[in-house]
Amino acid sequence: MTRIGFRLALAYRGDIIMTCVSLVAQVFLLRMIWTSVYGSRPAAAGLTLDALLAYLTLANLQSFATQTLVSRTIHHRIRTGTVFFDLARPVGYLRQMAAFQVGNTLGGLLLLAPVVPVVLLVGSITVPVNGPGYVITLVLGYVIAVQLALLISLIGFWLMETGAIHLLYRLVSQFFAGTMVPLAFFPGFLGALAEILPFQYTGYVPAAVYVGHISDVSGPVTVELAWIAGLWCLLALTWSRACRRVVIQGG
Amino acid sequence: MAEILRSLRLYFLLQRASARGAMQYRLNTVIGVISGAIWQGTGFAFVWVVMHTFPSLAGWGLAEIAFLYGLRLTAHALAMIPLMSVNDVQWIVRNGEFDRFLLRPLNPLVQLMGNRMGIAQFGDLLAGVALLAVAGRNAQVQWDVWLVAFCAAAIVGGALIEAAFFLALCSLSLRMVDTFALRVFIDDVFSKFGSYPMKIFGGTVEWLLTFVLPVAFVAYVPSSVVLGKLDSPWAPAAPLLGVALISLAYLVWRRQLAHYQSVGH
Repeated sequence: MTRIGFRLALAYRGDIIMTCVSLVAQVFLLRMIWTSVYGSRPAAAGLTLDALLAYLTLANLQSFATQTLVSRTIHHRIRTGTVFFDLARPVGYLRQMAAFQVGNTLGGLLLLAPVVPVVLLVGSITVPVNGPGYVITLVLGYVIAVQLALLISLIGFWLMETGAIHLLYRLVSQFFAGTMVPLAFFPGFLGALAEILPFQYTGYVPAAVYVGHISDVSGPVTVELAWIAGLWCLLALTWSRACRRVVIQGG
Repeated sequence: MAEILRSLRLYFLLQRASARGAMQYRLNTVIGVISGAIWQGTGFAFVWVVMHTFPSLAGWGLAEIAFLYGLRLTAHALAMIPLMSVNDVQWIVRNGEFDRFLLRPLNPLVQLMGNRMGIAQFGDLLAGVALLAVAGRNAQVQWDVWLVAFCAAAIVGGALIEAAFFLALCSLSLRMVDTFALRVFIDDVFSKFGSYPMKIFGGTVEWLLTFVLPVAFVAYVPSSVVLGKLDSPWAPAAPLLGVALISLAYLVWRRQLAHYQSVGH
């Protein structure tokens, strides 16, 4: 499954290259906007401009690297009924799909690698303040992202048509991950909401650890582990319900 | 003239048919419109959050940026609602379906445009007009009849600029040149960079976005005129650029059409 996901990423390299170009444009745009609003101000919300630009560059790279294809695949396979073949295999369905996603991410990373220098040049980067902390929070954040994507996909076993839900999920999760604005700038209610939602762990938290905006890693790591455990239980529960509801279209 | 009127009438008939087709899937249509609006909404939420902390972006306030954003969005929606189905041109050519268009006694471009309706673009239109209305009231502008007329002309002009690039690139597909990726890129540049004051990009990029790919003329120049930020005597003529470009794009289309070779079915 991992290999299939990996190959799939390479097969659609045209798509991924286009996304890379769009990523570069996005990072450039953000850099210009933020440089302009900072003007001569040395720092805002505890972030200097340099740290902020490094944050934005990283957060956008991360959001690109951790985007998930798995819900789209599951959606498609439920609609066409081919989900039957996945269920017939002697390996747990969720495990297959998770493996598929990991492979797909690795393939995407391979294609992303040559673009990274360009993105770093267009954006900006600083020396990591806390390298190991960054890697730990990012990997845990990735696990959360995959779990959430799987959970969203499972809705498909009830609703069949989930295209709009996926789109909505992607928009909301990207906004609250803080890829365009660090969570530290979110005003009042919006900030409180972003603080509760788990999307910050794929974007804001790791990048903020990297630039030293979050200095104590133990807090976020504990919360991340709690999310992973909680989502794990929720996934297992949802799946045990979902597989009783399986309808094979055209089967 | 009679020919144009006839094409127009047939175009509306075709669009009505495709609208009726879209309404067969009512929920999907509603969701399409809403997600279009939400998509644009989150884009503007970014501006709003940033300007919550920083009151000014290159000398533009929140209401002014919102006006610029709304103008661009409305122009974009107006360009894409009729042209969305032209996006499929390369598949239509590849499947040999385009031959049928040539046999019918109606301009093939009009037939292509009437094929399907842009649904999510109605969401863009909704979001764009809403932004324009709210921002127009909150920005420091003395509205009079002329200014409103200029705004309308600017929106149409901006739509024509976007439409011109889109049409010119689509017409290359008649000769099997795949421009899909390039179209996505151009659209991306228009939507990403068109909604901000050009000044923030500085130097080369500002120049490129003004004179090479005239993103600046879609919304930035007209809104600068409305908001009184630009007093070049030439600036109010910006909407005319759209007319010039679309005529040029139509010539490109005609030229490519003359070289059309069927895939042979």
